[in-house]
Amino acid sequence: MYGYVRPVKGELKVSEFERFQGVYCGLCHELARRYGFCSRFLVNYDFTFLAMLLAGDEQPCTCPRRCPAHPFRQTVCLERSESLQTAADMTVILGWWKLADGAEDKSFPTSFAYKLACAALKGAYKKAAARQPDFAAAVEQQLAALRKLEKERCASLDEAADKFACILRTIGQGRRTEEEKRVTGQLLYHLGRIIYILDAADDLAEDIKSGAYNPLYGRFTPVDGKLSSEDERTLRTSLQLSHNALVSAYVLMEENAYSGILSNIVYLGLPAATQAVFAGTWNASAKLHRERRSV
Amino acid sequence: MNDPYSVLGVSPQASDDEVKKAYRDLARKYHPDNYHDNPLADLASEKMKEINEAYDAITKSREQSGGRFSSGYSYGYGGSAYQSQGAGQQYAGRNAQYVQIRNLINANNLAQAEAMLNAIGNHDAEWYYLMGSVYWRKGWMDQAGQYFRTAATMEPGNVEYRNAVQYMNQGGQAYRPAGGMDMMGSDAACNMCQNLICADCCCEMMGGNLIPCIGCR
Repeated sequence: MYGYVRPVKGELKVSEFERFQGVYCGLCHELARRYGFCSRFLVNYDFTFLAMLLAGDEQPCTCPRRCPAHPFRQTVCLERSESLQTAADMTVILGWWKLADGAEDKSFPTSFAYKLACAALKGAYKKAAARQPDFAAAVEQQLAALRKLEKERCASLDEAADKFACILRTIGQGRRTEEEKRVTGQLLYHLGRIIYILDAADDLAEDIKSGAYNPLYGRFTPVDGKLSSEDERTLRTSLQLSHNALVSAYVLMEENAYSGILSNIVYLGLPAATQAVFAGTWNASAKLHRERRSV
Repeated sequence: MNDPYSVLGVSPQASDDEVKKAYRDLARKYHPDNYHDNPLADLASEKMKEINEAYDAITKSREQSGGRFSSGYSYGYGGSAYQSQGAGQQYAGRNAQYVQIRNLINANNLAQAEAMLNAIGNHDAEWYYLMGSVYWRKGWMDQAGQYFRTAATMEPGNVEYRNAVQYMNQGGQAYRPAGGMDMMGSDAACNMCQNLICADCCCEMMGGNLIPCIGCR
């Protein structure tokens, strides 16, 4: 979806990297199995993280599979599991709403492509929403609230970020115990807040040019599409405080089969993504990452 | 109680030093300083208690069996160091309504605290401070900072407000493993000194509505 939630590959053990790739491929296969070929295009790192975070005491079983991206060699793929199914449902729900949003926001040729994609995935969305009614309702409600704030050109960064953060927090409600719900909810709230703010920071220059709403524009006074160094410091401090809250929740979660990878993402991946966004190198590094992956 | 060794994540054959190290690592994770005014502080406190009990149990059993395990080892995490919040706090001479709001915030009843604050027409420094505290707990860090700063500007002599601003400006505090990074673009080790200074002012941060930490006891 956004792709900020990913491990720093060089710091993963080889076994962890293979396991991570297995979850990514597993999610893609699960999407195809549950929602048809088109939904494969929605696979992303954020929900790969979610599948691992929600794995609980599931033990990873893998199997070799072929897929359209690797037609000539088999990839090691995670077998179907409860967390993978949940992650696939949510990928479709959030992905569809993001496309619907794009269909309204973008100008002609692009908006048409979004509309087509929306129509192609409508059936998948209905199925997914029936499986995860609470999540679908939360996404619909919070995105409507966010759209309203955008129209009003809301000047509060926190208020805008809160809507997206609340969507992710809802996912915590699916956990078993009250304690797990609180901890997971708090972790995901701040993850959502970080993702939303990073996305805003990444798009700032472009949004100023096109006149689109950007929550940072209301809160700070950017010059030439860039934040002043003092504003950047304030913003990064705010991200740091959210990251602290995220970490304080993360250490309260039970360890699972993916803890090595999850820790890499939490302690290294998120800070590295932040660093890249503020250095203006995020788009380049994300592209490089994609190319390396497909090798 | 669970097996103390599994609580610390070490085998019963682990050496005394290994047990100490495991205890120290876990205590660093769940240290009260990492849960200042955090909605999950109660869970961290339970974890800390469990770890302390497990460590005490291992220490005792090893001493009894004639080992050299020194009971004098103290890392500064007494079982009672982590007090529950909101107990026996004194707000002598303060506005009764604000006392009530503080208690609501401590009980994590943020919606009611916010409603009460919104019903107050006269916004003095404490109002801004308490509104900042509500935002902080909600995770609205940016707004919290702005309200804390307003409170501190209106009443520059107030230590509680000044410390809240300082704590926020320094980016707060949380556990990071060795080599872990933060969002400011520095690695955790560089922040060690900063955290030491920070830990000192944390003790006072937000006055009575916070867990007193070891440093000020």
